Amino acid sequence: MGRLGGSTVPAVSRRVAALGIAGLVGGVWIAATVAQEAPLPQRLPALLARVTAPAIDRGIRDQDPPRPPWRDSSGLMSSIPGSDAPVIPGSIILKFRPGTTSEARRAILSQVGGTTMRALPYAAFDLVSIDATIDPERAAKTLDAQPDVEYAQARYRVRPAFVPNDPLYSRQWNYPAIDMERAWDINPGATSSITVAVLDSGVAYRSGVFGFNSQAFRLTAHGPEYPALGFISVPFAAAPELGGVDRFVAPRDFIWDNNNPLDLDGHGTHVSGIIGQLTNNGVGVAGMAFNVRLMPVKVVSGDWDFIFDSPFEGTDDVVARGIRYAVDNGARVLNLSIGRTGRPAPAVQAAIASAVSRGAFVVVAAGNGFESGNTVERLAEFAPEIDGMVAVGAIGRDRQRAFYSNTGSYVELVAPGGDSRVGGREGTILQQTFDFDLVETYLSGPTRYQAPRFDSFAYEFLQGTSMAAPHVAGFAALLMQQGITSPAAIEAIMKRYATDLGPSGRDDEYGYGLINPRAALRGLGIAK
Amino acid sequence: MSVVHPNRVGGWWSSVVLIVAALLLSAPASAQSRVSLRGFGDVGRTTFAATQSFTAVLGSDTGRAFGGGVDVVFARRVFVTVRVSRFRRVGQRVFLFNGMQFDLGIPTTITVTPLELTAGYRFDRGWRLVPYGGAGISRNRYEETSAFSEADENIDARFSGYHLMGGAEVRLAQWLGAAAEAQWATVPNAFGNDPNSVSHEFEESNLGSMTFRLKVVIGR
Repeated sequence: MGRLGGSTVPAVSRRVAALGIAGLVGGVWIAATVAQEAPLPQRLPALLARVTAPAIDRGIRDQDPPRPPWRDSSGLMSSIPGSDAPVIPGSIILKFRPGTTSEARRAILSQVGGTTMRALPYAAFDLVSIDATIDPERAAKTLDAQPDVEYAQARYRVRPAFVPNDPLYSRQWNYPAIDMERAWDINPGATSSITVAVLDSGVAYRSGVFGFNSQAFRLTAHGPEYPALGFISVPFAAAPELGGVDRFVAPRDFIWDNNNPLDLDGHGTHVSGIIGQLTNNGVGVAGMAFNVRLMPVKVVSGDWDFIFDSPFEGTDDVVARGIRYAVDNGARVLNLSIGRTGRPAPAVQAAIASAVSRGAFVVVAAGNGFESGNTVERLAEFAPEIDGMVAVGAIGRDRQRAFYSNTGSYVELVAPGGDSRVGGREGTILQQTFDFDLVETYLSGPTRYQAPRFDSFAYEFLQGTSMAAPHVAGFAALLMQQGITSPAAIEAIMKRYATDLGPSGRDDEYGYGLINPRAALRGLGIAK
Repeated sequence: MSVVHPNRVGGWWSSVVLIVAALLLSAPASAQSRVSLRGFGDVGRTTFAATQSFTAVLGSDTGRAFGGGVDVVFARRVFVTVRVSRFRRVGQRVFLFNGMQFDLGIPTTITVTPLELTAGYRFDRGWRLVPYGGAGISRNRYEETSAFSEADENIDARFSGYHLMGGAEVRLAQWLGAAAEAQWATVPNAFGNDPNSVSHEFEESNLGSMTFRLKVVIGR
């Protein structure tokens, strides 16, 4: 036994040792692979599986009870104490003039006790850390007065600009309203040579199961607490009506700082549908420029980004970086259905001016705040100063300004954004996005609150200048495909052929009028 | 679109009658009884007065035109010509902005068909080479048709014009001659009114042209 045992034991030991080494190597390999594929820090989303079941199509949601508005006034993020503040405390955006010495920079920063934060890609400015107790706007004003400073501003939060509403092609009044059927005769949806960047809440562009760490939250300051769900697996699917993976170019997420701009909201997916929903495929609804490639660039956060504790929010600096990223990666049209009020946004203005100078056409929503003071939309207000950027207001089915659509000298064009007060739910804009029942699980109270699903889709009616802007972005893509490559020329032709609405000539409600893609695409003959 | 200038039609025929009468009266009485009828065909190179507009859409302000007609020659010196010609070329619609031109790839066909009545004098001194010159009036049909256009977006219009011409004819045989000829024509107020037109952009309105052509004449 002993010998047997003696002779057997070493063999077993060798096998055990070999298995142990193999196991160790395997473990290290798995760990390395997992570390590469799915980093598991507390805040960052972890990819748990690349493939999921096919996306679920829940059809058209036209029988739903009216949805309470939840974005502009009572959205989850805005209900968390502090999160609805227009400015992020503890930091500001600063750009020094070229040639400013290090000593001068230090001296300037010392005036507000600031230090520069780590340099971020696609940022043509510095982020400066200041004491959280210092008013960022006051600090920015102090620095902005310095001769060596080109601009300084607080980090204002930017949010999606659509007005959520209550309420297929025959139900898409918006395209006939701008004569798109005849426009598509001339240019059937552009081609894949044109890339349109959607700077928004992300896009449902890929499938996979991702892990998130869900934190506890309250919908109102004194409301019931929604429990932390811990580390949860969340299924995602690509929106069936946006096409396959080949449709998307250089996706980038500036909210989670990775290359997976997953839409955790539905806004960006709906906006993308207006620009490029698959069309003439016998399924669902149509889009403006249905052959273009889409670049999802996530620069604003949704409620679930907040619950999952994303490392960044949609702020001016994030938007400005997103704009530069999009142009660096070949986008020729940029759609920003986002906005904010408050103080001016020089960082975003500089980024848009740079984008236009590099041949990109930029479309910005004019804002939905007409009935809440009609305050100036800061991301749209400089459109008149930049030839190649347009600010877009919204009209309803009756071709009148939508009740929510901002007015002002910066409104240059209008496009269909929908108006539920004129045509009810059918008077708004129908495109594919998530089935909101499975996304906004927190609206049913803490007891029924559960992890969301982003793999279930429906055709949803939404309204807002967020919906108007992508009509113009799609239109710009068609013009580029038709041969008009200069952003300034695109703006000029859009204005020239716009159908004048309201008082004769340009006005603050409708700008130069309602876009007229067919007339613009047709251009000029010798005599007519 | 069809544009007619009724007030010019009467003036058109009056001019013809006056010119022909004057030229006939200038011929020697002995020659006035000798009338010959000749036919001809020609090919020429036409350069339009609306240089920028034609260049923008057609890529050039110049193109080939084919024509033909009938000469009536009185007493070997005075002639009256009726000629019809046609210029046709395909270009594309454009957009103009700040000195830049963007071609939109939408085919546009321009057709110009002048019907001309010319009266003139032949300096026939019995030499082989006969110089001649004349003046006349014209009715010009202008057609512009584009792909993807509705019927009312295309143009089929007629405009009146005037022209001066001169050339030299050489007899190749008893019944065959050849000529080289130059013609300047003006067709004012033909286009430029539509704000969505290239001609409006360039403030060009004249459908006139300068044409050099070669002509084969059959008859004495």
